[in-house]
Amino acid sequence: MRNMATVPAGERALPAGFEELEEFVAYWAVAGQNERRYQRCDTTMDEIKRFYDAVYPRADEAMAYLDKFPLRDMPGPEARLMRMVLSLAQASMSVEIQGGARVPNAPWPDTVKILTTETL
Amino acid sequence: MRSNFTDAAGLGKEPVSMEPYRSAAYFELERDKVFARTWLIMGRTEDVANVGDYIVKEVEICGASILITRAAGDKIRAFHNVCSHRGNQVVWEDKGSRKTMFRCPYHNWTYGNDGRLLAISDEKMFFGVDKSKCGLEPIQCDVWDGWIFINLNPDNKVGLRDYLGDMGIFLSDIPYPNPGRSIKIQAHLKCNWKFLIDAFSESYHIPVLHSKTIGPSFSSPDHPASHLQNAEFFGPHHSISLFGNPDYQPEEAQLVEILAYKGMASENVLAANQSDETEALRAHKSVNPGKSETWSMDINEIFPNFHLDIAGGGFWTHEIWPITPDYSRYEMRFFVPKPENVRAAFHQEHYIARLADVVLEDLANVERTQKGVASRAKNFMILQDNEVLIRRMMDTLDKFTVSDNLEKALEECA
Repeated sequence: MRNMATVPAGERALPAGFEELEEFVAYWAVAGQNERRYQRCDTTMDEIKRFYDAVYPRADEAMAYLDKFPLRDMPGPEARLMRMVLSLAQASMSVEIQGGARVPNAPWPDTVKILTTETL
Repeated sequence: MRSNFTDAAGLGKEPVSMEPYRSAAYFELERDKVFARTWLIMGRTEDVANVGDYIVKEVEICGASILITRAAGDKIRAFHNVCSHRGNQVVWEDKGSRKTMFRCPYHNWTYGNDGRLLAISDEKMFFGVDKSKCGLEPIQCDVWDGWIFINLNPDNKVGLRDYLGDMGIFLSDIPYPNPGRSIKIQAHLKCNWKFLIDAFSESYHIPVLHSKTIGPSFSSPDHPASHLQNAEFFGPHHSISLFGNPDYQPEEAQLVEILAYKGMASENVLAANQSDETEALRAHKSVNPGKSETWSMDINEIFPNFHLDIAGGGFWTHEIWPITPDYSRYEMRFFVPKPENVRAAFHQEHYIARLADVVLEDLANVERTQKGVASRAKNFMILQDNEVLIRRMMDTLDKFTVSDNLEKALEECA
């Protein structure tokens, strides 16, 4: 079952200044490396490229902004922005390395699981 | 530095039979003569860091569920995870912490962390049970350099240090960075376990299969075939050093990779740490033992199913567990620092994402190989010098499967 990021009623989706990226929140701002990898693997190269092209130009600035918040205790909008930036690392595998959404000629879905001791 | 590794290992050069990879009879020999009597990796002492911590590990080929505990007195112990009452599993989670005792969720039989049966619920209705004789069944367990091993043979007479022999001495006292924090990549594969061992035992495939992910950092225009830098052989165990491209740089279009590694002085793309955090690791005599300038990583294979791989920027392990002749469980653990800010978390996400792709390139490949070998179109593998570990592993398995006991098998491999 796919994970989606949700925005509680009355909360901003993303911090002020990052509104243009809001359309990517639901799909890409999910918690957990395994879930972010799943999102990257379970979509098309066109969608990955659209996300990459939108988020990369803001990534350095976003990280500089997020540095002011504690990594493990960010407010909702900041946590969602952080998770989108982390998803950019996943998306970059498709765009910068594989030249396609997934590892070529590998099965999807696969049995690969990334198991972490904490969920960022 | 050795030039012909196959000669140095005392091995022949003829093609190697594929039959052990597809034979149910050979799989049974592997169960009885290898996994049921060698020392097997369970994890790090940090996995049970505090008194009361426990982990449960499966050894599917032997049908065993293993409970590892740290009890008062700080001793790490191993037990069969089987209740004395009617044989259910006492612990149902794969890790956790219970201060002093385990209570079987079936009927509340209660055991101490030291395996003693402490209490039987509704004991008065039993017929004079001697609790002192009904503890959890202990398994031989020992720790070497922070690594926990077990031996499933209750009559085993070879200690862990003797089993590891010169390999244990070679690798002793390595200052592992971040041994207490790891990220695991797990997968179940439709293949014989040895295809997984082989997939992570040679560098010949790296510039080809991994041409985009890590090929450019493990080969160079001068070293297109990624030849081994060194090989060491110790009884059933062995160690190889792989070529690394010291001039590797991400291409200009790899914007996110450049961003992820910005401000990161690291050894190569397999680095989980900053360089200054791994200086002691790289200085160890058995890490890059030839102290080659063009080195990427060492593969240290502890027979039968544990790889302890060390690179300039950190270390990781592979555990490969046979389930059936053509089904296996694979677990890779990357030992990584705890990120303290977004940039560190971003680097770690990029690092693990790349490794998951690399691993998937290998994992998709082993299932294809399984299919090819199982088709019986071919009966022999043709191996080159840089694939020496595959030839040596098969030779070692052949020796183990015909030996009466572990002592004799080790003598055969000496």
